[in-house]
Amino acid sequence: MDPTAGNVPGSAVPGPDHEEPGLETLQFREEIQRLITVPPDNASSFTALLELPPTQAMELLHLSPESEPNPAPAAVSGEPPLLKPCAHPFNSSLTFPSNATLIERAAKFSIFGGDQSPETGAVPSNPGVNLEKVKSEPAESDSNPNSSQETKSNQRSSAKRKEREKKVKVSMKKSKIEAKEDADKIPYVHVRARRGQATDSHSLAERARREKINARMKLLQELVPGCNKISGTALVLDEIINHVQSLQRQVEFLSMRLATVDPRIDSNLDHLLATESLSLMQSNFSSMAPPIMWPELPINGNRQQYQQQWHFDALHQPGWGREEDNHIFITPEASLISCNSSANSASLHTGHVKTEL
Amino acid sequence: MNSRSLLLSPNPNSLKSRFTKGLLRALSRINKHRQQPRSSREIRKRHRLIKAAAYGSMASSVGNRRAWSRALLWKIRNQTRRGYAATRNIGSSTRQLSMKKRICDLQKGNNSKNRVEVGGLGQVDKLRRLVPGGQVMHTCSLLEETAHYMKCLATQVKVMTRIVEVYNIP
Repeated sequence: MDPTAGNVPGSAVPGPDHEEPGLETLQFREEIQRLITVPPDNASSFTALLELPPTQAMELLHLSPESEPNPAPAAVSGEPPLLKPCAHPFNSSLTFPSNATLIERAAKFSIFGGDQSPETGAVPSNPGVNLEKVKSEPAESDSNPNSSQETKSNQRSSAKRKEREKKVKVSMKKSKIEAKEDADKIPYVHVRARRGQATDSHSLAERARREKINARMKLLQELVPGCNKISGTALVLDEIINHVQSLQRQVEFLSMRLATVDPRIDSNLDHLLATESLSLMQSNFSSMAPPIMWPELPINGNRQQYQQQWHFDALHQPGWGREEDNHIFITPEASLISCNSSANSASLHTGHVKTEL
Repeated sequence: MNSRSLLLSPNPNSLKSRFTKGLLRALSRINKHRQQPRSSREIRKRHRLIKAAAYGSMASSVGNRRAWSRALLWKIRNQTRRGYAATRNIGSSTRQLSMKKRICDLQKGNNSKNRVEVGGLGQVDKLRRLVPGGQVMHTCSLLEETAHYMKCLATQVKVMTRIVEVYNIP
């Protein structure tokens, strides 16, 4: 699974390992320039090989090529040109991984090398230029100022830059770059960690887990009103806990209110009303649209209402004119149903009932 | 009373409608045989029943898709079967389960699987106590369940306020 046109690490050794630094640098520079021009169209071919999801790999791809190689800082002699973070617009075919986890992983995985596609025509003059998979270096991780303010690409590029520096300094044998002419499957993924972060499989898993948790926390922040401004996990969690507690208390309070209310017989009422009124609701809605004045609340209003409902429901033959009751019930219901609003509609209903009574 | 029709309009299959139907059905069942409760004991009993009905219908309308709803359903079923005292035991037993699980985890991967990353100040534990079934979940899924649980609680509150409005106009 050799990705194409990836970042070429500083210690990239064209061909056989451990060339002389000077020659290597030159070759490396050429190599980089050629690789940079590799269009990311190869993404589809080799992303399948990658054990990464395609979006990740494509993202990586696009991060690696740059518009132009920077002149290497003088920090390290013979350091290959820096690969600036490319601000160039991604191809439309690219989909930036939205998942924070993927972004994180993509940052961790610095895949070097690239497919020597014929499009480049840039097969390095040195026939031995090979982009190999990068071996994970457990201990050797440059310390990346892992500031979250940096953009991911900046992070990655700076990390890779520094890694490259370090590589060039330290050793050449840690990573090789080999060109892959065709799709070769790689049994496992080698990882290069960011500066200052271990490449332990454990820590990688931890990081992935942390990313998941952070994503969920963001979701929760959006749900809880007023949590967007709060920063910091602890405070946000406090807010969430308060919110859940308040909701639970509200449910309890409401259930207490329901418990103290008068019990009534309304078993079939809803069902009947729902089925009956649905058909008429459309027609009646417009007539009921204008809100009716909130009637004075008689003391016995409830009782009357309940009685009426009870009769309507249980007997279907109320002594006092079924039609009007039907009408009464249906029209306010229509408005209620359609409005789906709050106390206003409730008042509509009761107002009508009372006036008719 | 037509509170069910009040709330059902847009989507008959939405969580809200399902919950409303279930709740109203339970309410009518609760109210069927009783006169108006006069003694405080009766009121408290009804309160308990209504609360169980609310949570139960909410959990039923969510179904088995969510861990918290499963836990809630299980708790309520055991509660009705074994009496009210059973609910306390269930809480503690799940806690024991979760402790065992944590111990196993820690033993398995000592440094790697550190499950207490989101330290906070015991907030995650508080959250676990709040969300039904939260004792045995990992932090990550706990947060997800919390989000869904919050949404359902809000729906519950909305529906119940409407019902109360219709019942108790004055």
